[in-house]
Amino acid sequence: MIYDDELETLPREALEALQLKRLQHTVERVYNLVPFYKKKFDEAGVKPDDIKSLDDLKRLPFTTKQDLRDNYPFGLFTLPLEQVVRVHASSGTTGKPTVVGYSKRDIQTWSNLMARSLAACGVGKGDVIQNAYGYGLFTGGLGAHYGGEALGATVIPISGGNTKKQILIMKDFGSTVLTATPSYTLYLAETLKEMGIKRDELKLRVGILGAEPWSDEMRKNIEEKLGIDALDIYGLSEIMGPGVAIECIEAKNGLHIWEDAFIPEIIDPETGEVLKDGEEGELVITTISKEAMPLIRYRTRDITRIIKEPCKCGRTHRRIERIKGRSDDMLIIRGVNIFPSQIESLLMETEGVEPHYQLIVDRVNNLDTLEVKVEVSEKLFSDEIKHLQRLKERIEKDIKDLYGITVKVTLVEPKTLQRFEGKAKRVIDKRKI
Amino acid sequence: MKRIRQISVFVENRPGRLLEVVDLLGKNNINIKALSLADSSDFGIVRLVVKGTDEAIKVLKENGFTISETNIIACMIDDKPGALASILRTLADNQINIEYMYGFASPIEGKAVMVFKFSDLESAEKILEQNNIKTLTQEEIREI
Repeated sequence: MIYDDELETLPREALEALQLKRLQHTVERVYNLVPFYKKKFDEAGVKPDDIKSLDDLKRLPFTTKQDLRDNYPFGLFTLPLEQVVRVHASSGTTGKPTVVGYSKRDIQTWSNLMARSLAACGVGKGDVIQNAYGYGLFTGGLGAHYGGEALGATVIPISGGNTKKQILIMKDFGSTVLTATPSYTLYLAETLKEMGIKRDELKLRVGILGAEPWSDEMRKNIEEKLGIDALDIYGLSEIMGPGVAIECIEAKNGLHIWEDAFIPEIIDPETGEVLKDGEEGELVITTISKEAMPLIRYRTRDITRIIKEPCKCGRTHRRIERIKGRSDDMLIIRGVNIFPSQIESLLMETEGVEPHYQLIVDRVNNLDTLEVKVEVSEKLFSDEIKHLQRLKERIEKDIKDLYGITVKVTLVEPKTLQRFEGKAKRVIDKRKI
Repeated sequence: MKRIRQISVFVENRPGRLLEVVDLLGKNNINIKALSLADSSDFGIVRLVVKGTDEAIKVLKENGFTISETNIIACMIDDKPGALASILRTLADNQINIEYMYGFASPIEGKAVMVFKFSDLESAEKILEQNNIKTLTQEEIREI
């Protein structure tokens, strides 16, 4: 279902004209209202008037997470605080949190984009959305909440955690849609089984999952376990929150990024050079419809590529490929770049392993080591050691064949690896460098 | 068919894990008739023949253990030098492959009990019968 027929299917030419107009307006505002941007633009020798086409965007300097921290808390706001109706902040595991502000209109814009996103997943009026994203400073909870309400669906603001209660409510309230992280969704599926609740006792049909990178194989696993359509949603608090890009249920292939609100670019993370559509690199986003805190060329650190080919759903907004990982999450093991999601894909394709894993990186005698801990499924557990040894060796060989690194696979008992209620943390890096 | 039900439990190789299995059975009043432990570097498999297989499976599962059930054969042999060799020779001559085997405490004077896991259970049963090798039923095991 298309929520905003006019904007979502706007011909490319008109969409790009709209982008340019909004970009020029945004650049003008930040230059005049935020000293940080004025200084940066001046240093780069570029004035708002120089932005004559979308191509001129690349003349503007990047904004980074560090810039947000340097201007903590409200230094990048373009509006006085009395016009800012809400603030969110990222968890800030390393250093100060990054703060974002929203005007009344920003909240409306966000709600609309999120409503569009939910609709693209086949959600509408009459649906009951169980929103298991955390409420609070994290944008996930309130973002999905306002979007669901804007769409006219019924929203259950249950937030994350309290798994048995989640399931009780899912069953009794007849939830049809789950919004959560993929790892928590798996945990829910497992708990359902433990509680002996059958699939047909639930009305659940769609999962809108995000806030962490996950693989297509994980999708299949979730869809099989819960008998639902599982769709990928993308967003980040600095840019807005959830609803920046969404997979449509028609294609389930790549996420439409709402280009009337955001301009995506893919750059080479090393050189900063803009890459062509289709090439893989770091996603950079410029917000063009935000009022309180627009961001110019924000480096997301997320690795993906732009799919420019038209989508069968009819939306004209280009897609980004499922996020492969964050450049920060990338592991460099003995010089080989590897994303946890790549290991995940491989594990999910291996029969007999559960979708719970942990990667442990260490440095032993100046050599990086990677240990992959994976749970053995009941189905596969064999009375004979040699079958288990073979499974372990096969995974080790598959990783070696595909990524060229030698890893140690450890089979562990089911349900012994940590379960996550929010974002999964699957990598433990013990290296002290 | 004189097949014996054996429970196999997957355990990680860490201190105390085997104790948890055995303790759980003890607390539930389940008597272990035979036990063998196979190990690799990271994990082991505990193989058990117990009195009360269904209850054992239930409590182990409820406590989060991964288990599987396997059919094995218990042979009663004379407790004297060369007795085991004689059975093994019979099996070898008939191309019967043994996956693993372990011993059993036998309270019957002059008798020993060996437990076998065969690759081909049916053929093994046939050969044992033809050669008059005494095998035990689940009930007989329970009474031992």
